[in-house]
Amino acid sequence: MKTINKDKEAKKTAMKELRGLRKNLIAAASSTMKIQKKDMAAIKTFLKGEAATIPEISARIDMPTDKTLWYMATLKKYGQIIEGEKEGAFFKYSLNEPEKTQEKAEA
Amino acid sequence: MSEKNQNVGVYICYCGGNISDHVDVEEVRNRVEKMPGVAVARTEMFMCSDPGQEMIIEDLKSGKIDRVVVASCAPSLHETTFRDAIKRAGSNPFIYEHANIREQVSWVHHGDTATDKASVLIASATAKAKLLKPLEPIRVEAKKHTTIIGGGVAGIKTALDIAQKGIEVTLIEKSPVLGGQLNNLDRLAPFGEKASDILQELLDQILNHKGITIHTDCKIEDVTGYVGNFSLDIVTKPDNNNINKKITIDTGAIVMATGSVSYIPFDGEYGFGRHKEVITLKDLIHILKENKSSGTALEVNGKRIKNMVMIHCVGSRQIPGIHHPKENGQLNEYCSRTCCAAMLNASNQIRANFPETGIYEMYRDIRTYGRGQEELYNQASKNKVVFMRYDADAQPEITLGSSSDYPLLVKIKDSLTFNEQMEVPADLVVLATGIEPDDVSDLASMMKLPIGTDKFLLEVHPKLRPVEFPITGVFLAGTCQAPMDVGEACNAAGAAAVKASALLSKGYIELDPFVAQVDMDKCQGHGACVEACLKEGALELTEVNIEGKIHKKARVTAAMCLGCGACAAVCPEKAIDINGWALKQYEDMVDAIVSDGFAA
Amino acid sequence: MVSTHIKNFDTLVVGGGIAGLQTALDLGDQGYRVAVVEKDASIGGKMIRLSKVFPTLDCASCITTPKMSAVAHHENITLFTYCELNSLDHDGSGESQGIKALITQNPRYVDPVKCIGCRQCEYVCPVHIPDMEQGGLSATKAISIPFSNAIPQLPIMDIENCMLCGQCEKACPTNAIDYFQKPEEFTITAKTAVITTGFDLLAVKDNVQYGNGRIPNVIDSLQMERLLAPHGPYNRVLRPSDGMEPDSIAYVQCAGSRDKSMGVSYCSRVCCMYAIKQAMLLSGSLPLADIIIYYMDIRAFGKGYEQFYQNAKAMGIEFVKAKVARIDKGENGSAQVRYELQDGSGIATTDHDLVVLSMGMVPGWNPEPICPVSKDSDQFITSIKPKISPVLTNMDGLFVAGAAAGPKDIVDTITESGSAAMEAAKFMSKSLMEN
Ligand SMILES: Cc1cc2nc3c(=O)[nH]c(=O)nc-3n(C[C@H](O)[C@H](O)[C@H](O)COP(=O)(O)OP(=O)(O)OC[C@H]3O[C@@H](n4cnc5c(N)ncnc54)[C@H](O)[C@@H]3O)c2cc1C
Ligand SMILES: Cc1cc2nc3c(=O)[nH]c(=O)nc-3n(C[C@H](O)[C@H](O)[C@H](O)COP(=O)(O)OP(=O)(O)OC[C@H]3O[C@@H](n4cnc5c(N)ncnc54)[C@H](O)[C@@H]3O)c2cc1C
Ligand code: SF4
Ligand code: SF4
Ligand code: SF4
Ligand code: SF4
Repeated sequence: MKTINKDKEAKKTAMKELRGLRKNLIAAASSTMKIQKKDMAAIKTFLKGEAATIPEISARIDMPTDKTLWYMATLKKYGQIIEGEKEGAFFKYSLNEPEKTQEKAEA
Repeated sequence: MSEKNQNVGVYICYCGGNISDHVDVEEVRNRVEKMPGVAVARTEMFMCSDPGQEMIIEDLKSGKIDRVVVASCAPSLHETTFRDAIKRAGSNPFIYEHANIREQVSWVHHGDTATDKASVLIASATAKAKLLKPLEPIRVEAKKHTTIIGGGVAGIKTALDIAQKGIEVTLIEKSPVLGGQLNNLDRLAPFGEKASDILQELLDQILNHKGITIHTDCKIEDVTGYVGNFSLDIVTKPDNNNINKKITIDTGAIVMATGSVSYIPFDGEYGFGRHKEVITLKDLIHILKENKSSGTALEVNGKRIKNMVMIHCVGSRQIPGIHHPKENGQLNEYCSRTCCAAMLNASNQIRANFPETGIYEMYRDIRTYGRGQEELYNQASKNKVVFMRYDADAQPEITLGSSSDYPLLVKIKDSLTFNEQMEVPADLVVLATGIEPDDVSDLASMMKLPIGTDKFLLEVHPKLRPVEFPITGVFLAGTCQAPMDVGEACNAAGAAAVKASALLSKGYIELDPFVAQVDMDKCQGHGACVEACLKEGALELTEVNIEGKIHKKARVTAAMCLGCGACAAVCPEKAIDINGWALKQYEDMVDAIVSDGFAA
Repeated sequence: MVSTHIKNFDTLVVGGGIAGLQTALDLGDQGYRVAVVEKDASIGGKMIRLSKVFPTLDCASCITTPKMSAVAHHENITLFTYCELNSLDHDGSGESQGIKALITQNPRYVDPVKCIGCRQCEYVCPVHIPDMEQGGLSATKAISIPFSNAIPQLPIMDIENCMLCGQCEKACPTNAIDYFQKPEEFTITAKTAVITTGFDLLAVKDNVQYGNGRIPNVIDSLQMERLLAPHGPYNRVLRPSDGMEPDSIAYVQCAGSRDKSMGVSYCSRVCCMYAIKQAMLLSGSLPLADIIIYYMDIRAFGKGYEQFYQNAKAMGIEFVKAKVARIDKGENGSAQVRYELQDGSGIATTDHDLVVLSMGMVPGWNPEPICPVSKDSDQFITSIKPKISPVLTNMDGLFVAGAAAGPKDIVDTITESGSAAMEAAKFMSKSLMEN
């Protein structure tokens, strides 16, 4: 029991050290992650109301179309969004409800 | 054999969308799960990938299943993949059956029809799988000897490679000399080696190799046997005493390296045969090789050439409706691959040595694709070779010229200059005649080798098995397969040699056990099966002594049997059947297909 | 302990693309013990990343996976993935001209023995990064398995983008995450080696004529392979700037090839055929789209290739003889292609929704200063006997095959690999006899 605790302690310190070492990378990654989280939440919130195309979404949430598509492709890959009907030259996307988390995710 | 206890595992592949875009794979899985005898039914993005195979292995190891059905692409692609996976699980590889739901379903049907058909095919495969028995592969002794047919550069290289691995080789050449096309060539594109040097280097090695026997000037009369144990009958041309020697060669594997010939233009094609100033690329190379010209212009038949026109793609890249087929209906739709570089190579030599000979090259596309070849093209432009381009449907025309200096006039609609009609006076026209396969229809029919629509020998699959025939133990190399340059022919030779060496290295070969088997108790010696058998030597009636009485019984030579089932169809006693493809299995498959429970 | 880690084989194959896999199989099947060292996290090379392959239009995954799997399970073949080759040379001097290679195993930050490939770590990781396996067109996570049929099925952690949040470690059912993993060095000795390090495409960002990669909807051909692949970034062909289904698609041939000032002076050999292939696949999935190929010469030289080209023409794909001089940003996300017609009639411009650059091919590996094998002026490894045996290099016992010896399609790569395996086998039986 004691050794386990010791190991845990050691690991904790080691992690702390590692975090110190990678401080800058971690800071950058966290801020990227926060932006991504916010962006994706904005897309999903908008889609709660209705299915929409990339230009529609991007106009409404004020995000460049290429970035919107990049997120959409990703959300689709991880099973959170599905592709629907085509409207003109664009496809409509909607939330995958009930949101089955990452079932049959494809790479 | 108990029929009830089999627990079938069914594995259905998405094929990354190739299947799942048209077949509702999960729905199929739901239906399959309820089928009788099915213990588990699973799906996977790529069944052939490691996670897919692991699934099968785990289910087998845990004892959940003892028969396997994989529903995916054509079995020709992955049968061995899954058999190997089953072997790794410690099971017999022949407890596996395949349902092709890609080529036979998703690529040809859509929507519900596709889903229904996939379900039915799997039901039928499952019905069959329940009756699969563990089988052992047939082991045949293999002679450590290979026979190469054709003594061009590809044949010589194959012979040398195999012999250097310690396998005996016999090389058979129909003409009196080795070297094939190399004997006709001079400086080789793109790097300028002398063909004779290349050939000499190979001949020095092959003539001194103790493990290689060479027969030239001979003809193959017959080929019999099967992998590991082929037999070739050859006859040599009559010698001084007018005697033809007959020789029999026993061999384990055969490599076809029968090469190619130069296309011969038909009478009047670009004036060929009508004007002596129209020659082929092969003729030009011969002229350069003889090198009788002195001074600053190329001399042909003692005449100094001032303007030569070279026309590409003669007898190649022919298009139905535009080009004339041969008498036998054949059109050479393929590109001959070597002529562009060979033409530019000749042009550069001429421009470098005979500055007063002007050159016009009339082409469709310049195909200097290979390493060092684009330089030939650039060099030709620097050497002031004039390039003109024609479209397939507007070929250059050769007419008589008006001046005695230029006996010919070549008319071309040049698509490099506004498609204008141009006229080029010429005193020599060279046709870039392409490559055609040598006629080996006799050998092909003896060995049942497939020939493509282009008349070249046809490999099993250009990527998976590029140097193999469907007949196990027979390989191909060099330009009998397709146009290639010397380096490419030698690479193909190496690839064929490596396959033949691997095949023969163990001294024995394992064959699939899907052959006829006689039930000795049931067999009454009618002999109907022997009559029906398609393969000579596969099935015979023998006398067996059973408790002092002599009975006639059918006997199968497993290595020869085709597994075609002609025997099973005629036996009145149902005493002969095919392992892995028994009559009862067919019946159950048909039952599964017609019972309409498995579609929606 | 680390530096004394020596592994001994008959042949070392450097590069696990289709050339390396075929070479390894052809040697392994003859009983030789083979090591395959691959720098990527998965074997398979470019071929596993393609959609369908000319001229047979087989799905690339379907014919690459069985080879990958056969190699992975072969009793005579050992795979070393995610490895860096530090040096490769003859071992010792004089008599025993073996091969010695120093290699670093890069850390995945995952224990390969414990990991079961369940991808739970990937699902929970909160950081998204551009998925280069998808041409950057969609995202993956800071820890991820490279693609669904990757071999081995092991994730890699991208520590540049990891925030050390610990979520993957918590999610992992087998305790396989190891944040402290270190690079490990080891040595491979062998009797022979085969270089199969393949090719890379010229980078669009280096071409000012094509807008240095800054013009939207101008992509390279490998990105187009991903768009066409059955499980690509969008699962269909859309243009990356806004998800529109393109109506007019153009191919720029010899992009960076056959012109030193644009990239390289040689012909890249496969781009004519893959452009035709992609065009055919596009006209299958977007039957109404206009597809135009700007080309100088169509080099359809292989078995069945010319017929393939003629079929494409018959399908309505438009071939325009022109050299593209530059590409500019057009209106509404289009790209404006400026080209010189080859019939001499001058310069023209056309707008397209999507432009694909058939970028030239350059070597995937520079031997300098890692290995003394010589390179040609084209920078690919020199073949000392291009006629009798194109796989021979200036180093005894070291051979080359596939695109490492010059641009090459899959068919030619596979036969050349067989040839390299044969030469290596001969070399080993020769030295056996001499001993
Ligand atoms: C005009 C021309 C120019 C070329 N220029 C170049 C060049 O510059 N550079 C380059 O690299 N390549 C060039 N090539 C290509 C080169 O010639 C071939 O790649 C090479 O010669 C092919 O060798 P092979 O062994 O496949 O066939 P071949 O050389 O045709 O040899 C086949 C052999 O098999 C024999 N044979 C056929 N049938 C039988 C049978 N039934 N039984 C026994 N023997 C049989 C034939 O007699 C022949 O000896 C050129 C080709 C042509 C036509
Ligand atoms: C867009 C595109 C489409 C194509 N389509 C087709 C087609 O339809 N049909 C066809 O026949 N061909 C096609 N090709 C060509 C095909 O990709 C090549 O023929 C084939 O990939 C060559 O295989 P290779 O193994 O030689 O090289 P690669 O596939 O490049 O593999 C080389 C491997 O070596 C590894 N490596 C490199 N350096 C090192 C190092 N220092 N240490 C360890 N490992 C290293 C690489 O990571 C890679 O895995 C296409 C090419 C492109 C660009
Ligand atoms: S190699 Fe050149 S001349 Fe020969 S058929 Fe092909 S395109 Fe025509
Ligand atoms: S620790 Fe790093 S890799 Fe793991 S989940 Fe967190 S961010 Fe992703
Ligand atoms: S969660 Fe653990 S076991 Fe699963 S893939 Fe990630 S590292 Fe491997
Ligand atoms: S293969 Fe075609 S596109 Fe590629 S460089 Fe050669 S000619 Fe240009």
